[in-house]
Amino acid sequence: MSDAPATPPPPRHDFRAAEPAWQQAWHDRACFVVPDVPVPGLPKYYVLEMFPYPSGKIHMGHVRNYTLGDVVARYKRARGFQVMHPMGWDAFGLPAENAARERNVHPGAWTYANIAAMRAELKRMGLSIDWAREFATCDVGYYGQQQKLFLDFWKDGLVERKESWVNWDPVDGTVLANEQVIDGRGWRSGAVVEKKQLSQWFFAITKFAPELLDSLATLDRWPERVKLMQANWIGRSEGARVRFPLVGRPDDRRAEAQPSTEDLNRAGAPQAHTIEVFTTRPDTLFGMSFIAVAAEHPLAAAAAERSAAAAAFIAECRSMGTSAVAIEQAEKRGIDTGFRVAHPFLEGVTFPVWIANFVLMEYGTGAIFGCPGHDERDYEFAAKYGLTITPVVLPPGQDAASYALPGRAYTDDGTIFHSGFLDGMPVVEAKRAAIAKLEAQGQGQGVVNWRLRDWGVSRQRYWGCPIPVIHCTACGPVPVPDDQLPVVLPDDVTFDRPGNPLDHHASWKHVDCPRCNTPARRETDTFDTFVDSSWY
Amino acid sequence: MLRAAVDAWLPVDQYIGGIEHAILHLLYSRFFSRAMRETGHLSVSEPFAGLFTQGMVTHASFKGADGRWLYPNEVHLRPDGATVHNDTGEAVTVGRVEAMSKSKRNTVDPGVIIDRYGADTARWYILSDNPPDRDMEWTESGVAGAYRFTQRLYRIAEAVLPRAADAGEARATRELLRATHRAIAAVTEALESFSFNVAVAKLYEFANAIEEAKTASGAALIEAVSTMARLVAPAMPHLAESMHALLRPDAGLVAEMPWPEADPAMLRAETLTLAVQVLGKLRATIEVPVDADEQTVFRLAEAEENVIRAIGDKPIRKRIHVPGRIVNFVV
Repeated sequence: MSDAPATPPPPRHDFRAAEPAWQQAWHDRACFVVPDVPVPGLPKYYVLEMFPYPSGKIHMGHVRNYTLGDVVARYKRARGFQVMHPMGWDAFGLPAENAARERNVHPGAWTYANIAAMRAELKRMGLSIDWAREFATCDVGYYGQQQKLFLDFWKDGLVERKESWVNWDPVDGTVLANEQVIDGRGWRSGAVVEKKQLSQWFFAITKFAPELLDSLATLDRWPERVKLMQANWIGRSEGARVRFPLVGRPDDRRAEAQPSTEDLNRAGAPQAHTIEVFTTRPDTLFGMSFIAVAAEHPLAAAAAERSAAAAAFIAECRSMGTSAVAIEQAEKRGIDTGFRVAHPFLEGVTFPVWIANFVLMEYGTGAIFGCPGHDERDYEFAAKYGLTITPVVLPPGQDAASYALPGRAYTDDGTIFHSGFLDGMPVVEAKRAAIAKLEAQGQGQGVVNWRLRDWGVSRQRYWGCPIPVIHCTACGPVPVPDDQLPVVLPDDVTFDRPGNPLDHHASWKHVDCPRCNTPARRETDTFDTFVDSSWY
Repeated sequence: MLRAAVDAWLPVDQYIGGIEHAILHLLYSRFFSRAMRETGHLSVSEPFAGLFTQGMVTHASFKGADGRWLYPNEVHLRPDGATVHNDTGEAVTVGRVEAMSKSKRNTVDPGVIIDRYGADTARWYILSDNPPDRDMEWTESGVAGAYRFTQRLYRIAEAVLPRAADAGEARATRELLRATHRAIAAVTEALESFSFNVAVAKLYEFANAIEEAKTASGAALIEAVSTMARLVAPAMPHLAESMHALLRPDAGLVAEMPWPEADPAMLRAETLTLAVQVLGKLRATIEVPVDADEQTVFRLAEAEENVIRAIGDKPIRKRIHVPGRIVNFVV
């Protein structure tokens, strides 16, 4: 808003002449250039700001970010450090493909033109950057190295190929990113999005879960808030795996009401005739009200075969976004499968098995036991469907005889009651006692569970780093041999139809298998752009 | 060669970016460094030894009579306090101050700011407003204020130049030298702790001190302004070079100069304040030289009007001196 004078008084300091002149002087004197290997004996300091995405213009967020970094770099340099202060561009990604579709410009041309414009703007800020080190993650010199790293990781067992659910647009015939699913529909076609299983590449980040968590303690120059967010995301929780015997419906002994042996084998349970759940609250087992399984759980599939309503509900769950946020924010909904399970501690008492939209197949075992008295989500679900709600944790200072829940779940600490052999124990002690008893009965064991999932890196897009693999019907997935690296993105692609241009390309994917020399197919997926920014 | 370079430079000592990348980007980077360690590409496990997450830049948003969002440069503040559209003169609704975004059109183009005020002004303003981890509101008056300060600093440099040969007064000279070293110490401490807005505030104080030092020697003034140039250089590197070149044209680039060192002797206080009690009751406070001996302290304390009155004609039985704290007379 222009509340300043329309024309500032003539400057004493003629910044319009001075700023470019000093920038030239720094450049001429190579003030910010550092050697590849720092000079021994002199302290080093590496200042790095997050690389910008080349959208075409710098914004004030960039100005703030790079000013902060430049203050540190210039100060440390004056303090006698050899300062590495580079700049680069996190340059692959969907916006370039959108520009290609909307404006008929090649993603590469669009990206490099944006980089040139933004570089010029950044240079006007007078940043003390060693510009000779500038690169873009879409430079083949960079992404070729990334392909080598992927193959090294694969050799070392840090890469896996697994089936995984994706958002599928049935009209465009393409995979959608979570942010391209708007209210359950494809952002371009408007078609109702389906969930579909695709074979994808994963980085085995879960192998490092304990180290990634423990090592946060060594990061004494990180904000506490960020360390907490990291820890929560990794999500270590101690709890139990509990196996509930399936018993069908006690009130209905007709054969079709009970799962067949075939159903149960498909359920993949470690022991036949059981559903396995993971819980962090084995202390609340006496407050159990129901079992809920994910829509992708084998038992849900078994239910779908005998109930059209269950099948329809599962299909509906599949059209929901795959992101954890979408699932958390959606209304809690479910359907009774008709199956029942026996309680591990209560002789002759059984509970219903539901399919619920808030249970994730990827977390724990894809099945939970619901204790509405002490879990918000379970409470919401039980209240909606009229399931029993029994409190089993008594808040401090409350009387067991008169206590009632305050219209919502109680999730804090307290003393166990209404719980047989656990009565009177504090929560922590009751957890241990419940696990000990489950183990003695052969119905469960104490385990550590992690929220962290392996990182799916396959994207069905053009403007990314090609995954260097060749698929052979005889040999399976084969690494691209060293002498054929890097796998370079072809320039001659078209964006006139939906889907991945690499898949449409006339010749690019047709190659011979490096092992058996028979015709094979090149991987047409590219890496998630988070891979590019993980090692710049 | 590559491995030697990687091992020597890593980890990154200071990584800086937005809080929106606090989870996935950092986690994936931490995974990558471990996977690269396992496959023999590097030695470190943690890629970023230090992390700083900066706040957002926010701006008021404006909505026209037709309900469309307007860019800040499409509206202006009338003298009567109303915000109106530049072309139509129609009243504009001033919306919330929120993160700059294209959809709300509450963005300010850095290129336009640099054209109008220069890069140093943009840099200085963005550092000055708030601690860097908090959100900062971008206002036109704020950036105009930062611009005025850049010009004021340059005028200060121009003003001391003709006084280079002045002998000056000893007391004012000493005061300015002490202010100079206090500024070095305070700015250094602020930069070390990422308190860049504090550094800015200390530099404003130092600019005031230089302007007030009318009778200091020319040498002290040149020293002060030259130090000012080096202290503002991380934030305003171009202006720093211009100021320095004006005063010491043959001394090379500020970008290649070492950071100024504060002389501890110059930081020590010259006087200290003592409480004076009579029979444990506070009667006065006195300023004494830091190195004053006990007899001098008692003589100064006993000369205070209120102390004389409190003692009256009673004989002093005992004199107590707790150095740096109090003087007590028992009568």
